[in-house]
Amino acid sequence: MENFWKSTKMKVILGILALLVGVMVYAVSVGGYTISTVDFFSAITAPFQRASHSISEHVEYSIDVYRNAEKNYEDNRALRREVARLSKELADYDQTKNRLEELEAFVGIKEMYTDVTMSAPCRVTGYVTNDPFGKFRIDAGTQDGLSLWDPVVTEQGLVGVITEIGADTSTVTTVLSPDLSIAAYCSTTRDYGVLTGSVALSIDGMCKLQYLDKETLLKEDKVILTSGDNGLFPKGFVIGYVRGVQMDDSGMTAYASVEPAEDIRNLDLVTVITDFAGKSEELP
Amino acid sequence: MIVKNTERGYGWKQTIQWILFALLIFVCYVLMSAGSGVKPLLLIPLALCISAHTGEIPATAVGVICGLLIDLSCDKLLGFNAIWLVVCCVAVSLLHSYLLQEKLLNMLLLTGICTAVQGYVDFVFYYAIWGLEDVGLIYRHIMLPSGIMTMISLIPIYLIVRQIALRCGSRRHFELEKTIVRES
Repeated sequence: MENFWKSTKMKVILGILALLVGVMVYAVSVGGYTISTVDFFSAITAPFQRASHSISEHVEYSIDVYRNAEKNYEDNRALRREVARLSKELADYDQTKNRLEELEAFVGIKEMYTDVTMSAPCRVTGYVTNDPFGKFRIDAGTQDGLSLWDPVVTEQGLVGVITEIGADTSTVTTVLSPDLSIAAYCSTTRDYGVLTGSVALSIDGMCKLQYLDKETLLKEDKVILTSGDNGLFPKGFVIGYVRGVQMDDSGMTAYASVEPAEDIRNLDLVTVITDFAGKSEELP
Repeated sequence: MIVKNTERGYGWKQTIQWILFALLIFVCYVLMSAGSGVKPLLLIPLALCISAHTGEIPATAVGVICGLLIDLSCDKLLGFNAIWLVVCCVAVSLLHSYLLQEKLLNMLLLTGICTAVQGYVDFVFYYAIWGLEDVGLIYRHIMLPSGIMTMISLIPIYLIVRQIALRCGSRRHFELEKTIVRES
């Protein structure tokens, strides 16, 4: 041991220590900046540092997993419960938001048409399977004050009429059906006609405004409204937009292809007009 | 032998089998009623497949229930489809008792006939006789695709019903087993 203190090894070590102290003092003197030597070493050692850090992290993580398995499991369960609670809250929020939007639309219709009495919004419960004319059912019936042949509308316009009714459910025949005939007109050109469904047009989601004068001025995008003549529908409700005008097979009259204002095959919520000025007492 | 039962064990399996059939009927009805596009009439192949594994009386009951559900879903006169489906279900049950083997090809043929007649009668009474213009388009765009989809849907329905019947033991298997035991 005595030899060691006097040996060259000891001198070298002391020299290195002195160098390090010198480096340290120098580092302090540069005021926080990294010295070039350190930079050089850093560049070489950095990948190894990263690797070692990564390994140690992984090992620490593995140890932590085993050591704290029970705690982590409990934490996980608590977080899952929290996520479930938040998801439920989010779903409730979405539902409330949708309901608010529906009610806003309903209030919109009420404000647009003040001379008609309307039911509360009715939900579309389903479409009749394979019906070519988009017949659908709603979740309201006689118990809700609805009657047979009451017109069914949305914010966009007329959708159809109730043709079957029960205590709490009704079936609506749409404007695409040939079973319906609605007195209609164009407010700008004053062309009057009868709107009815057609097999060929219903495939493209359209209906037909027939018995138009062959000199008709109707053009594409003109708005077609109910004229209220037959007492089945209130006057002035939008039915749809003209998409084309053709001559009838007879050549005596013209007809227009009309696209309903509302997407008949994707309805969610509708309103029923239970009473209006000029309503006919006689059912068809 | 697929089924080895006592009377009591057989009874339990039958209960489970009918619960599963009821669930299948419910699921098919829900699928048939969902959305607004052209859909297969899933209850037709289901009723026929169930009938192939049961006696005539249960087949009648299945025909009535499925037929009425089709009437409700398609908004047809109540009984319009039920009557025809009862006839078909009883026929399928009898044919499988006395004449036909339980094969997918046989079921395809029987379902094809049943669906074609149902579609034709529906088309005639609900559209053609009313003199609508271009009425053939309804057949081409709705009846025909729906019929084809119904035929395709038969394959999974047949396999599901067959598995249920094999695992729970049909009346036919049970009677056959009893006869074999008695004779031996």
